[in-house]
Amino acid sequence: MKKPVYKELTLATLPLTFIFLLFSLMTFIPGYPILCGTFFICLGMFQSWQKAREDNDILYSVLLPIRKSDVVKGKYAAAVFIQLVAFMLCAVFTFIRMFFMSEAAVYKANFMMSANLVYLSFVLLIFAAFNVIFIGGFFKTAYALGKPFVFFIITNFIIIAIAETLHHIPSLSWLNADDFSFIGRHLIAFVTSFFVYVISTVISCKVSQKRFENTDL
Amino acid sequence: MSDILKVENLCKEYPSFRLDNVSFSVKKGTVMGFIGRNGAGKTTTLKAIMNMVHATNGTVEIFGLDIKKHEKQIKQSTGYAGGTVNYYKNKKICRILDITKSFFNSWDDETCKKYLQLFSIDPNKTPSQLSEGMKVKLSLAIALSHNAQLLILDEPTSGLDPVSRAELLEIFKLLKNQGIAILFSTHITSDLENCADDITYIRDGRIIYTGSLENFTCGKKLESVMINFEKEAFYEKAGL
Repeated sequence: MKKPVYKELTLATLPLTFIFLLFSLMTFIPGYPILCGTFFICLGMFQSWQKAREDNDILYSVLLPIRKSDVVKGKYAAAVFIQLVAFMLCAVFTFIRMFFMSEAAVYKANFMMSANLVYLSFVLLIFAAFNVIFIGGFFKTAYALGKPFVFFIITNFIIIAIAETLHHIPSLSWLNADDFSFIGRHLIAFVTSFFVYVISTVISCKVSQKRFENTDL
Repeated sequence: MSDILKVENLCKEYPSFRLDNVSFSVKKGTVMGFIGRNGAGKTTTLKAIMNMVHATNGTVEIFGLDIKKHEKQIKQSTGYAGGTVNYYKNKKICRILDITKSFFNSWDDETCKKYLQLFSIDPNKTPSQLSEGMKVKLSLAIALSHNAQLLILDEPTSGLDPVSRAELLEIFKLLKNQGIAILFSTHITSDLENCADDITYIRDGRIIYTGSLENFTCGKKLESVMINFEKEAFYEKAGL
């Protein structure tokens, strides 16, 4: 699997995708829906998929001595790699904000989502939606990517709206705690979303492999 | 001689076209020409052989292995060139080759260099900077660089100038003598007369003839035999 991933990251992925990882810095913005940064990271990935399609990457990939299913697996693995780098950056910035900046006046007065483990959980959910809706949708045809991306955008903003709304409900205000007072609950939310991310990505990959096997190029 | 490629009852259904029980085989150290009119099913057959098109029915065995079960292994020893290089048009050729070679166990840098030089391809150029004919040559150079035992080429001579075509046919003869099997589709029947041992003739998704070129032409020009076949089919269709 190393070779297909290397091929994806060096040939099929635009530098722009890596530059867009810097949108993880939006984690620091107070009074702003910080999950939008995750959307921009996905937008950067989308640009690479679009360019790869124009470059006939799928045709090139199936001519290589790998199984058709490995072409799909390679694309998912590369996406997961980029998402994990983005997640690590978001996690580092979240902990910097939680440990060293939580007392800052701008964060104290923050009425939007705080950077905490719940925020990181939603980051994973958005990436899971990207893998299931966009990548899974792309492999229905191995060509059309406009419609899957539009569906992903809609889902993404529904997730952001939910994330930004839930903590305003008094009984769920703990979701927005920017200290460690509700760390137990936050951990449960994080572990749950981590499993959702892993399971949905694996299932989406398996379904895409089946679809791609029956796709005519 | 053993069969390197064996296609049996290959079927593919499209709304307006059907590949109907296509069967033929290619022997080791032979060149087979795959002929037929535009839209007869040549490219679909070649793509189905390479598992790029999902066949509705039938089997494809290469080196005695089923392509569906041993795709990875088969592709290591099979070169496929579907016309020109139409991927990564703006990446440097040397970059594409660097990535491509990492996938092949038997990639030979010297062979690759030899063919790039023979075809006068500058590896520092991008495919978009090459003419259509040069792109065909690049595609062939890639297919020939990993010591493939079977070459499947979709119209490799189209777009090439006469000198390059003659060179290519000479290369086919050399490869054939080394025991490599070649299956190539073409419209240029004179190319087949120069180097093919066998031909497979497809019309409307059905194999009309598969076997030795000599038996098919009986000393006549391949082009005139093919035109006669097509005329008969046309009159039959028109009810004349």
